[in-house]
Amino acid sequence: MASKPYRGIEKKQARWGFAFVVPALVFFSVFNFYPILNAFYTSFYDRRALSKLKPKFVGLGNYVRLFDPARAESQLSFYNSLKATLTFTLGTFIPLLVVSLILAIFISNLNSNKAKRFLQISYYTPAILSSVIAATIWMLIFDPRGLGNQWMNLLLNTPGVDHKWKTDPMMLQISTMLVYFWKYIGYFVILFITGLATIPPTIYEAATIDGANKTQTFWRITLPLLKPTVVLVSIMAMLQCLKTFSTQYMFYTNGSTRAPINVITFNIYITGIQDQYLGRASAMSVVLFVLMLVLTLVQFRTTKSGENIDY
Amino acid sequence: MKKSLYLILIIALLIPTAVFAAGAKDKAVDESKPVTINYWTHDDPARTKLENELIEKFEAMNPNITVERSTRSAQKQIELVQTAFAANEGPDMFNLPIENQYAYITNGRVAPIDYEAAGFKSKQDMLDQYMDGILDTVTVDGEVYGLPLELTNWAIYINKKVFASVGLDAEKDYPRTWEQMADISEKLTIRDGDILVRRGFDFRYPYYLIMFVPMVEQLGGSLMSADGKKAIINDDAWIQALTYMQQWGPLGRNLGSTTYQAPRYIFNADNNDIAMAHTGLYQEGRMKSENPEFFESMDWMVVPFPVFENAVNDVAAAYYGHFFMVNADSDPAVQKATWKFIGYLLSHGEDYLTRGGNLIQPTKALLESDTLKNMPYSQVFIDDMARGHMVYYGADSAEIQTQIRNAVESVMLSGESPQKALATLRSAVQEILDER
Amino acid sequence: MQIQQKYNPLNLLVYLVLIIMLLFTLMPIVFMVTASMMTKNQILRMPFKWIPEGFNSINFTRAIVGLDGNYIYLRNILNSLIVSVSVAVSTVLLGSLTGYGLAKFRFKGRNFIFIMIMATMMIPFEAIMIPLYMVVMKLRIQNTYVGLILPFLVSAFGIFQMRQYLTTFPTEFLDAARVDGKSELGIYWQIVLPNAKPVMATLSIMAFRSQWDNLLWPLLVSQSEKMKTIPQYITAFAAERNTDEGAMMAAALIASIPMFVLFMSLTKYFIGGSAVYESRKG
Repeated sequence: MASKPYRGIEKKQARWGFAFVVPALVFFSVFNFYPILNAFYTSFYDRRALSKLKPKFVGLGNYVRLFDPARAESQLSFYNSLKATLTFTLGTFIPLLVVSLILAIFISNLNSNKAKRFLQISYYTPAILSSVIAATIWMLIFDPRGLGNQWMNLLLNTPGVDHKWKTDPMMLQISTMLVYFWKYIGYFVILFITGLATIPPTIYEAATIDGANKTQTFWRITLPLLKPTVVLVSIMAMLQCLKTFSTQYMFYTNGSTRAPINVITFNIYITGIQDQYLGRASAMSVVLFVLMLVLTLVQFRTTKSGENIDY
Repeated sequence: MKKSLYLILIIALLIPTAVFAAGAKDKAVDESKPVTINYWTHDDPARTKLENELIEKFEAMNPNITVERSTRSAQKQIELVQTAFAANEGPDMFNLPIENQYAYITNGRVAPIDYEAAGFKSKQDMLDQYMDGILDTVTVDGEVYGLPLELTNWAIYINKKVFASVGLDAEKDYPRTWEQMADISEKLTIRDGDILVRRGFDFRYPYYLIMFVPMVEQLGGSLMSADGKKAIINDDAWIQALTYMQQWGPLGRNLGSTTYQAPRYIFNADNNDIAMAHTGLYQEGRMKSENPEFFESMDWMVVPFPVFENAVNDVAAAYYGHFFMVNADSDPAVQKATWKFIGYLLSHGEDYLTRGGNLIQPTKALLESDTLKNMPYSQVFIDDMARGHMVYYGADSAEIQTQIRNAVESVMLSGESPQKALATLRSAVQEILDER
Repeated sequence: MQIQQKYNPLNLLVYLVLIIMLLFTLMPIVFMVTASMMTKNQILRMPFKWIPEGFNSINFTRAIVGLDGNYIYLRNILNSLIVSVSVAVSTVLLGSLTGYGLAKFRFKGRNFIFIMIMATMMIPFEAIMIPLYMVVMKLRIQNTYVGLILPFLVSAFGIFQMRQYLTTFPTEFLDAARVDGKSELGIYWQIVLPNAKPVMATLSIMAFRSQWDNLLWPLLVSQSEKMKTIPQYITAFAAERNTDEGAMMAAALIASIPMFVLFMSLTKYFIGGSAVYESRKG
């Protein structure tokens, strides 16, 4: 047998490392792995929520149904869900990423700690606000008589125009993106600020001594050093957007049409909980899971996560 | 290396699977006396108050029975009861709208009534006490599976002051037909450009099974054939109804839309932003507590559900009910106690009407009582109940309503032609029917 | 980042952007505060008047007294506090422990475990709602604090953040401590943790917030009124047949206070950059 890769001390350390990780593993297996495996298992059956009978085995039937080209026409098809999800994700996570980075840099540049704190808290308040309340408020804003139209008409000088925030398919998607952006911007600003805080100021001092101006400092030093945080935030933001549910749910229960905002999670919920097709809903969950996995890997590859940046 | 990996994976998966997959439910027959009833219901502050009082009294009379009452929003009640049952851990007692409840009967999730425990002398005695036919909706193979908590229908409330502001006398000029409804709403509507600042009437979206299907039925159409096999009967009726909705919406005469504030929420405020609302008797209770001056002033009235000019059937909006049902998998002792509790609660029909949220229990006694008759305009509701029928409550009702919603909204908001929307609706509903 | 600022148009742009974002994010908050002082008539009236016609305390009374009149709100606040604090603490502790293990130790299957843990971030809650409920019922922890806390004890995101942060932690310090004879746990507790303050602060705020606002899980698990959390309490005011927006806003306003307090006290850990780095050096 080849020489063992671990020796005395390292072996002991390896055991400790493993021991540190075990508690988390146990919890994940109970509260995450088991349920998702359960969902995976269910996706091969035609299980109805209330039925006591043994569910019929349909193999890949549920999956075939999702991707059946004959159904693609329908407004509520899975294809449309995929489209809606991707539209929403791209339209939300890119602005979130860019704007939160810009805001974090602006804030960090301020001189007054009080102003920094105030701004951070303010941007974070949408997250502090209960989502029930946020939903109520935004629904009132998007009511045709509400502030949404009032302010848009003021800005564009178009009195009396209903911008159809909740009904026009494109406006509806924009409205959901707007609400989501509002909700999470503060969250990501903080993540970036934390990331910026880990860059030692000595580097900036060195750069200034070397004669670099602000723009050079930003592009050549700050941004590259920030890369791990950017990757982290970018993946988080993307996954968060792919998992969006309550925003769409809130619009639907307040009278919006379903098709433009029928993102995958929403489709899962309606199919499983309202229409009681648990097998189909599970299949959609698995597809979403795979989609998220693939997109995350793509992100990792294209940004080549640089963990060990040497100063 | 691989060996340990597999080991990790297997352990991670085996632990929970072993603990949970084995799950043979141990339902040991409980011979001991004390029982606890898990009662799940939906939020309604007035009814909660009443039922908590009744629970106290009941527990005092039955020291061995404890009632755990819990509430959640109406929408969540539907979803969570179902989730609980899907996990085989449903509550002992619950109530849901009948269109969501029927599936529980057909899937064997709920138990038939224990007449004696509920306080009746016999099955016939029970049937006699209730409005004719009301218990048919929860009767399968001769067994009755639930007792009604309430039966609700909606009629048209009118704010007389708003009518007067455009020179109309609500008592004389109220709309009797849908065509009149549209014309009168036109007179009452105030617009700022496209935006409706004040509406005349607006529909109770998205309850299409309750308010839209009857409109189709007025014109001679129906949702499905009598044997439930064929979807969408009488295209002309459907097209006319869909066209009416298209004309009503922003792409037509712009009299209302799905995304404005629901009329029943803003009617009580008397803010001059809505003239009519489609809602139930319980609205009076809300009015009384939110805006007593408006309520007492009687500047409002209630009129029946309109019909089309060329209607062939006089059909009012459908009514719906909530039934108390008992979990068939609960311990038999618990089930018995639960029926006793249900019987006790329901024997207080008048309390439910006057201070439990204005709920109408469809018992003959209550429907003929003076208490009901003395509530303003209650006769309109009673008459409309006679003109209407129970909402479609098959197990697939939620799915079908989603499809109808899709059809109406595509016509109203997306500019779809009624013909195309109908074709889509037909194939969707037919597929649902075929799945049965 | 303390770079000298000269007065230039760039500054103006910065301020403009910051202020516009401020208005955008705060507008609904102002709505909430204003609406909590108004009667229902005034809230629903459109166009909305931002300045209330006098302070109306009826909403606050209703919010605190509650729909049944038995002040259950105070109990709900307590529940939310217990759950949120527990989850925040456990997320930070377990997250840092696990992140430390993954970052600074090498053992078989390390990368595989890391990927598995990251994969859990890709599981949408709606997909696992029913099996999760079954788990809770089988463990008989429904309607208990344990049932509310347990599924959120560890956060994959927390582990990820901690691991990122700790990877760049100088291993020399750890090795030096080992040479000095400190135990592994001792090293974790005395060296690693104190130096991870910014991430710990961020994580604890986020974990606290996500539990404070968690509606879906307590809906499934908390069935009796005594075990409900704040979001459930607020939702009760939005019943199908009657929505009491004023009381909702008042209740929500009261509920925001702990979050503000927490935020104010923890932000110092990640705002001033140099302060953070100083704490890291030692």
